[in-house]
Amino acid sequence: MIIRIKDLVCRFGDNYALNGISLDVEKGEKVVIIGPSGSGKSTLLRCLNALEDFQSGEIVIDKIKIDRNHEHLHEVRLEVGMVFQQFNLFPHLDVINNVILAQRVVRKRSREEARAKAMELLTTVGLKDKAAAFPAQLSGGQQQRAAIARALAMDPMIMLFDEVTSALDPEMVGEVLEVMRHLTDKGMTMMMATHEIGFAREIADRIVFIEEGKIVEQGTPDKILNNPEQKRTGEFLRKVL
Amino acid sequence: MLSWLTDQARLIFDIVVYLLPAVPVTLLITVAAFSLALVLGLVVGVMRISRVGFLSKFAAAYINILRGVPLLVQIFFIYFGLGKILSLDRFTAGVLAVGICYSAYLAEIFRSGIDAISYSQHEAAMALGMTRFQALRHVIIPQSWRIVIPPIANEFIASLKDSSLVSIIGLQEITRAGREYYSQFFVDFQTWLIVGLIYLIMTLTLARLVKYLERYFAVRGFGSART
Repeated sequence: MIIRIKDLVCRFGDNYALNGISLDVEKGEKVVIIGPSGSGKSTLLRCLNALEDFQSGEIVIDKIKIDRNHEHLHEVRLEVGMVFQQFNLFPHLDVINNVILAQRVVRKRSREEARAKAMELLTTVGLKDKAAAFPAQLSGGQQQRAAIARALAMDPMIMLFDEVTSALDPEMVGEVLEVMRHLTDKGMTMMMATHEIGFAREIADRIVFIEEGKIVEQGTPDKILNNPEQKRTGEFLRKVL
Repeated sequence: MLSWLTDQARLIFDIVVYLLPAVPVTLLITVAAFSLALVLGLVVGVMRISRVGFLSKFAAAYINILRGVPLLVQIFFIYFGLGKILSLDRFTAGVLAVGICYSAYLAEIFRSGIDAISYSQHEAAMALGMTRFQALRHVIIPQSWRIVIPPIANEFIASLKDSSLVSIIGLQEITRAGREYYSQFFVDFQTWLIVGLIYLIMTLTLARLVKYLERYFAVRGFGSART
């Protein structure tokens, strides 16, 4: 078990974004989180990367406990890569230096090593010829692929994808999903929040349906998408499919 | 009429020659003071946004006090007050006074420049394992330069003009040289006209330079799209 989440509660004022979530993820497992807007999908992923504080409960990632006094944040974030809806590339750096920066600063790799790693990953995501371009010169799909390469460069054990295709034009969704499909083949542990139900069906080991900060139902894609037990799951799927 | 004109030309030439050696002094004071102000201002500006309570409060007090007291009074205080205790020479005292005073204005500019960068940039850096400080240094501050360069350049031009205030403690810069020329030859109109023109030429040249700088910092990587 690589991720253990127990009774997680995260609230903003009186608004409970997560209200008692418990979830275990095995190494190499692909878990897709679905649910309406504001159901807590993003907050859950952000808690796993310690970008969001939580009020009670427990998160353990590869035996490292995310402490509320933030003692182990740094170690946790090295294990967990994250890709954001809005890409969040560094606009002042060209693509290759976006991928190099944290390798140098955080992983303390040599310039040559970091550059070689960056080129290798940019080739994987199909951006080898865009290495010298600045983010503003790229399409949304290209930016998101660069962001995935940037996260992978840190050699994380787990990758979190927070609605990574939601800000993209429809014709660019495919190229980003293709890169993610490639990752699943490599056995990466992945958690993703998405509205791409078709993609979820294809790659997920497990689909978790969240609503109002609680897990309503979870199971294999076949069970959740074809034979949901809960009425709410069915209603949600009818709306998005 | 012709003889009046040649007399005037000779007089003006005389004044210019007298004042010219003071120009490098003014420039040196300005550059030294402003360099100090940049370093101090960046440190205080970062302290101002620190999550550590007392650092932020200290920075706020520093900024408020220095912006609330006239520079002339600060010069007197540092040269006659502190200067006695620390035995500062005129140049050091003058540079310190102008530098410290301007650091307060620059701190506010740096703070607003850092605030202007979207928090998602900070999060992206931290998600990659960077500490808050590493994120500031490698991600936030490099992006802030583009925003803070124009107001910083304006402060530099202002500090060049304010360097005239240190003439009061006897530093031989342009304004002081003007006063000395006047007290020797009792020519007031032409002397102060020339002193003013010298400052004007310097500030206009700098303003032109700033335009180029802005253009330089505006290009690379920043199209219309920002993430």
